[in-house]
Amino acid sequence: MTKILGKKELESWLSSIMKDRTLVAPKHVDDLTLFSPVQSVEEIAFNYENTNLSPKELFFPRTDTLFTVERKDSEMEITPAVIEQETVIFGIRPCDAWGIATLDGPYLDDPADSLWAQHRAKTTMIGLACTKPAPQCFCTSMGSAPNDSSNVDILLTEVDEGYAVETVTAKGERLLQGVELKESDVKPSVPSCDTDVPAEGIVEATQKVFDDPYWSRLADRCIHCNICAYVCPTCYCFDVRDRTDRGKIERIRTWESCQSKGFTRIAGGYDPRADKGTRLRQRFCHKLLYFPQQFGPLGCVGCGRCVTACPVNIDIREIISDLQELGAKVGQGSN
Amino acid sequence: MGADFTQQIRDKAKELLEKGTVECVIGYETGSDGVSARPAFIHDPAEVDRLVFDNTCSHNLVKYLLNKKGKPTAVVVKGCDSRAVNLLLSEKQIERNQAFIIGVVCPSVVEWGWNKRSEQIQKRCDWCRQHTPVVYDFLVGEPVTEEPPPDFADVAEMEAKTTEERAAFWREQAERCLRCYACRQACPGCYCIDCFVEELDPEWVGIRIAPQENLMWNTIRAFHLGGRCISCNECERVCPVNIPLSLLNRKLEQEVLSLFDYRAGMSDDTIAPLITFRKDDKLGIGE
Repeated sequence: MTKILGKKELESWLSSIMKDRTLVAPKHVDDLTLFSPVQSVEEIAFNYENTNLSPKELFFPRTDTLFTVERKDSEMEITPAVIEQETVIFGIRPCDAWGIATLDGPYLDDPADSLWAQHRAKTTMIGLACTKPAPQCFCTSMGSAPNDSSNVDILLTEVDEGYAVETVTAKGERLLQGVELKESDVKPSVPSCDTDVPAEGIVEATQKVFDDPYWSRLADRCIHCNICAYVCPTCYCFDVRDRTDRGKIERIRTWESCQSKGFTRIAGGYDPRADKGTRLRQRFCHKLLYFPQQFGPLGCVGCGRCVTACPVNIDIREIISDLQELGAKVGQGSN
Repeated sequence: MGADFTQQIRDKAKELLEKGTVECVIGYETGSDGVSARPAFIHDPAEVDRLVFDNTCSHNLVKYLLNKKGKPTAVVVKGCDSRAVNLLLSEKQIERNQAFIIGVVCPSVVEWGWNKRSEQIQKRCDWCRQHTPVVYDFLVGEPVTEEPPPDFADVAEMEAKTTEERAAFWREQAERCLRCYACRQACPGCYCIDCFVEELDPEWVGIRIAPQENLMWNTIRAFHLGGRCISCNECERVCPVNIPLSLLNRKLEQEVLSLFDYRAGMSDDTIAPLITFRKDDKLGIGE
């Protein structure tokens, strides 16, 4: 039997969540769809392919204070940042939830990042399965699925009578306490994601192509902005700086990207990735080679955001295919 | 237009590469969605058939000439893009004899559409009165007679708002800004080796990706383009959060036009009024 939550019941459930927690949901802002805190159900966008920006910023904000330092009676007092607010995310897609889980690798590995760990503990994710994957999506090629419930607390799938409910974790169960679910024999349909990206064996292929001139040719086209990294659910680099304001010091971190000039510049001025080709290679090698070597999964979940947001069409799906082809040639000794 | 323009560009590219006039032809090819064009770099005459031209050819390819210094390079330019060639020539950033300009009489370009061709003409094309390139070595298409330029209705609409409304509008835009710097990276007029926004000493703009700092970034960048912006509007096209940067750029364009009767990039031997000084400049001081 499938458990069903009616559309009206979903709305009153979300309204009750808003009373004592921050509810973050997709919202249409001008012609974009963005995850935003919402105060009423009317603000929520229920029909959307995916948000323009990934929900990683709910765990890894674009700018975050790590701690503040203040002088108190001639003593210095250090106050680390504490996340107190309980947050519920409604409408996170399975690919994005997987992106968050992927980042647990670097962020919860010992020593765990305190802010990431706190955000994870205080956040409950209500996933919404994709019923119509977008043409740029390729989650199935990367090992997930439009209705993958592995990384959310609750997964909802739209059906005629409302939403089919799959309670995944204890946290999800707590959030659903007191919510009446109907029983039905309806089976939610499983949408297919047609794009086929040859990701199998990509780690080995990428390693073989490391020194290929492919990267500098591709970098001819790249304009080296940070769009791909900033819309990506699994790009997680940052810069850290101290900010002073009338005796108060804040240590802040902000998003940064390996595509920035000077990202790897070190004291004395040397930059091991000064040219565009090595910077572009870094992004793809990190996702397809270093990340899996270090943490297991690939550093790409197939959300397709970078594919459509890149101003010059640097397309990771095409790059994966190219690397497989070039890697195979290296194997044959004909490169 | 399409097929014929494409063929003329391919033929010229082939000739230039075969003769060794240039090392590379920068043009457009069909992107990975099979619909929209993307920049293409052709080094081998056998590959010229990758080149295409249609109304999805939006990118201003002149920016790429800055990466080709000292290497003879051909570049496909539309009318607005060609003004960037003059801008970079007048500011001594590129050398005329190193650049072969394949000018295309612009059919107006459409909004970017993923997987589906958009029918919507870009708004920059509504303002544009430079469909025929101002500089070229080879021209594709017949020069057209240009209409008189339209007024700055979009700027006037913004200026009709109260100060508070305008502040609220820009604050909302700045809240969205990611500081990804795509606007700068796409802009042919942004070529500083060290951009002010990344300088640490002094730190002109804080690194927080937050409304106050973001406004500072967008405003200073707009001022650096004052009288230099050639209206290709690439900054706005590439912005991942759709900030209407043209409102800032066009306000400055309007000011420079009314004060100095100057439009950026119309010739290769004039320097933008705000980056030069003349003794007879009317400064409005002590007069």
